[in-house]
Amino acid sequence: MRLHRIEAVILRHMYELRHNTNHLINMLYFPVVNIVMWGFITIYLTNHQRLQPGLTSSLLGGVVLWGFFYGFQRDMGQGFLEEVWTRNLVSLFSTPLSVSEYINALVCVNLIKALIGLALESGIALLCYHFNIFPWLVEFIPFIAVLMFFGLSVGVVITSLIVRYGSRLESLAWSFAGVLMPFSCVFYPLKTLPVFLRPFALALPTTQSFEGMRQVLAGQGFSVVDFQWGLTLDAAYIALAILLFRRMFESARSRGLLIKME
Amino acid sequence: MSAHDVPILLEVRHLTKTFRNFRAVDDVSFCVDKGEIVGLVGPNGAGKSTVVHMLAGLITPSAGTFSMFGKSLNTHREQILQRLNFTSPYVAFPARLTVRENLAVYARLYNVSDPMDKIADLLDRFDVRKLANKPISRLSSGETARVALCKAFLNDPELLVLDEPTVYLDPLIALEVRDVLLDLQRSRGTSILYTSHNMAEVERMCNRVVFLSHGRVTATGSPIEVTRAILAEHRDEPALEEVFIRIARRQRDATS
Repeated sequence: MRLHRIEAVILRHMYELRHNTNHLINMLYFPVVNIVMWGFITIYLTNHQRLQPGLTSSLLGGVVLWGFFYGFQRDMGQGFLEEVWTRNLVSLFSTPLSVSEYINALVCVNLIKALIGLALESGIALLCYHFNIFPWLVEFIPFIAVLMFFGLSVGVVITSLIVRYGSRLESLAWSFAGVLMPFSCVFYPLKTLPVFLRPFALALPTTQSFEGMRQVLAGQGFSVVDFQWGLTLDAAYIALAILLFRRMFESARSRGLLIKME
Repeated sequence: MSAHDVPILLEVRHLTKTFRNFRAVDDVSFCVDKGEIVGLVGPNGAGKSTVVHMLAGLITPSAGTFSMFGKSLNTHREQILQRLNFTSPYVAFPARLTVRENLAVYARLYNVSDPMDKIADLLDRFDVRKLANKPISRLSSGETARVALCKAFLNDPELLVLDEPTVYLDPLIALEVRDVLLDLQRSRGTSILYTSHNMAEVERMCNRVVFLSHGRVTATGSPIEVTRAILAEHRDEPALEEVFIRIARRQRDATS
């Protein structure tokens, strides 16, 4: 793995960010709209005494962290789609650039973008709704890492499917996280789900993160179990995602699909 | 080493590619010596692009092997692709990035030292310096093709694979680009594998020609040798256009 090639792909996406307003909208506009809307909802519910004050933090914390996860996995898929849409894939992969260097570069770029979105949402939550995430930040960081690794797995799986089946599956980059959301217990505890759905929810690192986050916000300290489970699941999903990507990439090479992809 | 003691940069042996039931490339063998320009020509569907894409590592062969710089792409991908460059008018660049930004990205990928000087030099050589700060989306096809050629020389490749490099260029620009290519090839000793449908261009550019039809090698040799072999008559000058038409007709008749 060579650093200069990772830097090259980062540079390519930084230039894209400079010229393409869609990226700025994804990075800045949606997080702002999201937190503003949810902030008003929590104010409404609190004022009408239907929501205990502690649950406000839980809701806004869920919004902020889910925004991070959603943005990261979406941008992983979209970063690859940029190469497909511009038919740059053939030029890129006829250089010494390896798939792992390419994915590492995408992780760096999208981590920066997702962290900017996270900081923006956290800032607005603090200024407008007096929800201060920063005192909990140290305990949140491990759960943010769990979300990031799962976002990486999901992004790689979506990319694998696009490599093999083409950009007709591109909407997965925007929609796939929506399927996971109800089972990830973003805004409600695991015990809210019907019993038969709980094993599925527990198999998602997102569930471990949000359960852990709620425990921190409730003042019950950092949940080592949730973190360890989340990380273990992440390791398994990343391994499976990489395996799938290799298979799909080789299948695409064998069928000549890299050349025709657009 | 080849028979005349010139190092072989590219050696293709019995290369075959099958897509489901269709054999796009069938037992193709040829080589490219150091400093040589070899034309890979043939009618549409003859298998030229498939061969070229296999050499660039973008399609996996079904059978056969090839080596570049004496090494296999399977085991030495990074080293080989660092010394090779590939370009085709059918691939593109990120459209919103400027010409200079696109070339800067590729210069970083190849770890070019003094990238800005190198880019400026190539933009001058291919007469596209005035476009340096324009986004790719605002360029004509011909201008984009010349930017692609700038990209092709960024890493001073020892082996250059050019897939129809002049297809979108008007005759004057095509002539100038061929001169630049020949000049760069002579000054740097670059070997070039060149595909084209322009037979006059192939006669002018190439030391040797590999004619493909139905995925198989139909003839190989210098332009005059191929002309004599395919037309089965004595000629003093190469006539690859005639050769091409004869082979293309045979291919079409066999298909129909």
